[in-house]
Amino acid sequence: MSSIYLRRRITNWLAMGLSMLATLVGLAFLAWILWETLRQGIGALNLKLFTKITANGADGGLANAMIGSLIINFIGIAIATPIGVLAGTWLAEYANRTKLGESIRFLNDILLSAPSIVMGLFVYTIIVLPSTALTHGSTSFSGFAGGVALALIALPVIVRTTDEMLRLVPSTLREAALSLGVPQWKLTLQILIRAARSGIITGVLLALARISGETAPLLFTAFGNNYMAINPIDKMSSLPQIIYQYANDPGDDLHAMAWAGAFVVTMFVLLLSLASRLVLSRSKVSHD
Amino acid sequence: MTDSAVATNPAQVTATSAVAPKLTVRDLHFYYNGFHALKGINMDIPEKKVTAIIGPSGCGKSTLLRIFNRIYAIYPKLEAKGEIMLDGENILDPGYSMNRLRGKVGMVFQKPVPFPMTIFENVAYGIRHHEKLSKADMTIRVEQALRSAALWDEVKDKLKQNALGLSGGQQQRLCIARGIALKPEVLLLDEPTSALDPIATSRIEQLVEELKSQFTIVIVTHNMQQAARVSDLTAFMYMGELIEFDGTEKIFTKPGKKQTEDYITGRFG
Repeated sequence: MSSIYLRRRITNWLAMGLSMLATLVGLAFLAWILWETLRQGIGALNLKLFTKITANGADGGLANAMIGSLIINFIGIAIATPIGVLAGTWLAEYANRTKLGESIRFLNDILLSAPSIVMGLFVYTIIVLPSTALTHGSTSFSGFAGGVALALIALPVIVRTTDEMLRLVPSTLREAALSLGVPQWKLTLQILIRAARSGIITGVLLALARISGETAPLLFTAFGNNYMAINPIDKMSSLPQIIYQYANDPGDDLHAMAWAGAFVVTMFVLLLSLASRLVLSRSKVSHD
Repeated sequence: MTDSAVATNPAQVTATSAVAPKLTVRDLHFYYNGFHALKGINMDIPEKKVTAIIGPSGCGKSTLLRIFNRIYAIYPKLEAKGEIMLDGENILDPGYSMNRLRGKVGMVFQKPVPFPMTIFENVAYGIRHHEKLSKADMTIRVEQALRSAALWDEVKDKLKQNALGLSGGQQQRLCIARGIALKPEVLLLDEPTSALDPIATSRIEQLVEELKSQFTIVIVTHNMQQAARVSDLTAFMYMGELIEFDGTEKIFTKPGKKQTEDYITGRFG
């Protein structure tokens, strides 16, 4: 074997080894986090965790926080998805390569990396304070405000993925539809969105995963509630907020519950990511 | 075949034909963002014949084809000047309805691009936009189109399946079915077999042969053997100009221009 081939082989092995090492490091941390949350929280991982509320403290569970998280996340996604998909569609199909479109895309990227506590303070100013003033304090912090704050975090993620997924659709598909005389709006709604559907759904699921772990924007908006709250105009508890609260508490029992809560959130996010993978791989009948 | 066309000089290449021209191109210029891509094209494309456009990469053959249904107009900064008469009306006239034009002039692209829906819906989709048909009539129309595209026997049992599951050659025939389902008068084929294997290619070529009794076909190809096999007339383009346009047999046996001869004998391009 000549030296040039030998060198290539060594380079190949090196690159392969380094990539595998990098993957292992990433995976190891994930496994470690899962293992550590499970180990520390196992004492509190029982049926009570899902049935009792936080008002009972160490004897209770996290039911109100879980329900609160579900409601707040649902509100966030329900607001962000239609706006995000429409905005992303507009960027990709109607404003692509225009100055306005490029500026909005740039602003969206800034929003994407804005600190989440800023979103919380923003919603505090535009929703919590006015509703306090309007209702003379009977409604102030609310699950709805929390949902809006999370929507602001999910929105740029959804805009970005929709925009990118649509721009990945080959332009020949557009030409083929337009050459049948189909107008742009029909093409967009009936063909392009359909072609990019799995990517868009993945984006929404990833946005949901992203907001499920957010704590900071909820502190100033949903605030927290030790009792079960279903009505979105009430103060509402959420898992990240309870984890934050219990982790700051000196009691070991509450620490275990915080760990258990962290395990639940992590598993939820993991399952969402797996679900989004599944959605993507199912529709992997490519255009080539 | 030689009786169908006679060459004149490149500035005024016309094919005098027994049948009336379907498309008449007069002094057509095209600009890509200022770049002069087509320089004064004149040609008469006869009805219900296969006209092939050949030439080296970048000569403007696809550009010319893409003006015939004005698909170029979806991109900014492209401009066509001149006249293209279709049945006596100038399709470059801004008042000419796109909807009408694209109902009359169908197009099939280089890569097969089925829509992300079922085989049946792929064919029905375009029809539905132009005509309101009952369910039964639609079924008949779709079957007709698939039969004309020589695809029916292969897909009749899986019309409800996703079209993306078909092979490349089947997908391309589906795209042809989708195009002819609108009953256009002109069918534009832009290198329709360049992404296909030889067997799928020969099926498409057979199909072109069968379809010319119903449609005026214009095919762009970089494969000279293909042009020789399927077309009645051949146009040779070079650097944005139409060099020669004549009966296919004449172009390939006794070309009138030195450049044409150089190209078809492989001396350049």
